[in-house]
Formats: sequence, C-alpha cells, structure tokens
Amino acid sequence: MAKISFDLVSPENLIFNDEVGMIIVPGKDGDIGVLPGHSKLISSLRSGRVMVYGENKDLLKSFFVSGGFAEVNPEKCIVLGETVEEMNSLDKNSIEKEIQELQNKDTDESKQKILIANAKIEALNASFYEKI
Amino acid sequence: MPSLKDIKTQINSVGSTKKITSAMKMVAASKLRRSQEKAEAARPYSSRLEEMLSSLATSASSGEGIIKLLTGTGEDQNYIVVPVSADRGLCGGFNSSINRETFKLVKKLESENKKVQLLPIGKKSRDFFLRTLKENITDSFVDTNVSSAGYNIALEISAKLQSLYFEGKFDKCILVYNKFKSAISQEVTQQQLIPLDISNKNNEDKSNETESSNKAIYTYEPDEETILQDLLPKNVSIQIFKVLLESDAGEQGARMAAMDNATRNAGEMIDSLTLKYNRTRQAFITKELIEIISGAESI
Repeated sequence: MAKISFDLVSPENLIFNDEVGMIIVPGKDGDIGVLPGHSKLISSLRSGRVMVYGENKDLLKSFFVSGGFAEVNPEKCIVLGETVEEMNSLDKNSIEKEIQELQNKDTDESKQKILIANAKIEALNASFYEKI
Repeated sequence: MPSLKDIKTQINSVGSTKKITSAMKMVAASKLRRSQEKAEAARPYSSRLEEMLSSLATSASSGEGIIKLLTGTGEDQNYIVVPVSADRGLCGGFNSSINRETFKLVKKLESENKKVQLLPIGKKSRDFFLRTLKENITDSFVDTNVSSAGYNIALEISAKLQSLYFEGKFDKCILVYNKFKSAISQEVTQQQLIPLDISNKNNEDKSNETESSNKAIYTYEPDEETILQDLLPKNVSIQIFKVLLESDAGEQGARMAAMDNATRNAGEMIDSLTLKYNRTRQAFITKELIEIISGAESI
C-alpha cells in the first residue's frame, strides 16, 4: 500500500516527520481522514486529536493539537498545530485541576485556556478511531 | 615613573578582567548554539505558514475585520516602530546599532509629518528611548527571554500589537531587529509586519515559485476567508517569534565576538604591561648598582 509523508509542526519545533499510512485530522467542519493520494486541501483545525496510522491501519501515535492548520496534497500532509502534545503525556487529573484553577479567574485568556483544557478532556475520553 | 607595585596591581586587575571576559565568551558560545538550534527548529513552521499564506493571499480582496492585517487600513499616517534589542549589554554594537537605526527611522518618518509611536522590546532599547523619545513610547516589553519562555511571549506581543491595530492606533507596524547572518555578523533589518508585505516575501523565496504555480487548485475548508482569518493573526505571532529568536541568536553571537575581542585585547595589554614591569625592574637594579659602585669609588 502506498504511503503518505506526514509532518506535524509546532511553532517551536518539528514533532513528527515520517511516511505513514493514514492520518485523521480534526478539521474545523469535521474530522478529515487523509490517505495517500488525497486531493489538495487546506483546512483550519479545531482543538482535538491528530491520529497517525501505519500502513495496516494500526494506530501509531496520537497527538493533541489546539487549533492550527493542515495542508494536504497527494504526496504530503502538513499539520501546523498551535500547541502540540502527545496524547500519552496528557494527565486527566492535572487537567481537571487546571480547569478548576482557571475557573476562579475571569479573563479572556483563562476562558480560552478552559476551552482548550475541556477539549483535552474530551479528547482523552474519546475512544473512536482507535481501531479501524 | 610608576612604581613596581603599581604596575603589578594593574597587571593583576587586567588579568582578572581577562578571566571574566573569556568566561563570558564561553557562556555566549554555548548559548549561541542553543539559540541557533531553537531558531532552526522554528523554521519549518514559519516557512510552511508563509507558503500557505502566499497561496491564499492572492485571493483576498480588501475587506473589514481581520483581513485588514493583510490589506492595511488604506492610510499611511500613523506608524508604530518596534525595535528589538537585548536585555543586557556587553555585546558590542548590537544594541546601539538597533537604537541608532530606530532613531533615524523615527526622525525620518516625523520629518514626513507622520505620527510615530514606539514599542521597544528589550531593556536596552527601552532605556534608550525613555531618555530620548519618551513621549513616543506606547508600551514596552522587557525580560522577554525568548530562549526559555518560547512562543508565549511572542503571542503576548502580537496580541498587544493587534489590539492596538484594531483600535485604529496605527496603520503600519515596522520591526527593527538584528538579522542573524552568521555567528560574527548581524545585520540591522527593517521589516514591515502590518500590513503584511507580500511582494517582499515573494522575492525572498523565489525557489518556491515553481511550486506556487500549481497551487490554484486547492480545496479550502471551511472557506478561504475563514482560513485567512485564522491564519493572519497567527502569522503575526509567528513573525514576531521568528524575529525574537533571530535577535536572541544574534545577541549571543555579538556578545561572543565582543568578548573574544576583549579577551584578546586584555592579553595584549598584559604583555605590554609585563614588558614595562620588567624594564622598570631592571632600571631599578641598574640604578642601585650605579649607586653602590659610585659610593664605593668615592671612598
């Protein structure tokens, strides 16, 4: 089966760069599955999971991105994430604690952070796409 | 004629200065490597963002709201100049060249009857403009420390600039910073940040031109305008981030070069002082010998 090259980039560094079988990215209007040979597409992303699969549709890695952009062409998929974290590194308890702390403040910044933290919890609870 | 003791103290003090400058050189060299790595790591993101933007920008018509970051306000009266300097000194002409260049730019714009505001980044330029152009300063950012704080500080600065922009406080934003050319040379560069200068960018990456020719057939999701509205503010932050990183690397490079020079000068000074010390010592001995001999002869 063909492979597609996938780059996951955060403002601070290049996080993932390899040939993979399939990627699912959280597009603003819904999740987008990208296979090799996908038509050209530029999409903005919502906060959510970026899932990376091997050739046999086995889940290689999953990341959490808080917004960003994806550029897709038949050979290559590039995801520019605002912040990128590996799903394994997220800890539910500490995020919930963070949310509680943030709720005491009432600034625009903390509201945004709450939105992102909620998206993280949602991503942690989600189990779909894990086996295809 | 200075006494032997005077020269000895002088040699010692120059020696300890030399120790300090050579230590600072070492520190700057290792920091330089780290900053360079950081700048290197940030490059893929900004270059890809630029690619995306250049393929989108052509489709933008003049409009309201966020698109104004691209198209401008249509006026050319109020400027904001952002000099990016270091927080610390002892790095040769690094800070003073930024301040000089900014000062010149402000004077030039003012002579054309434009209104100019300043938003200095870094202690050295803030202090300079507090002394010289105090009434022009709107705000300042110091202790940015981009190598440890990372992207967040760039977000903060960009949020500040954008809120000022959308309040209609300025029409054009120009960054003045030290572009990192190599470890020993920096170049003072002016970059127009708002509105985005696309013509300039296209010249820069000529290599991408072949690619851009087949860019027209992208599908946009949700649509071009929505993406642009997300992309433009992000681009401002990324540009600032890039400039901060370059300036940080440049600072370390400049400090390394300056300290290397200082160490070498101190070494030369020690050599010449040691020579002087030995001459004086010999002169004393000769003088004493003459005194003894002539004393003995006269008996």
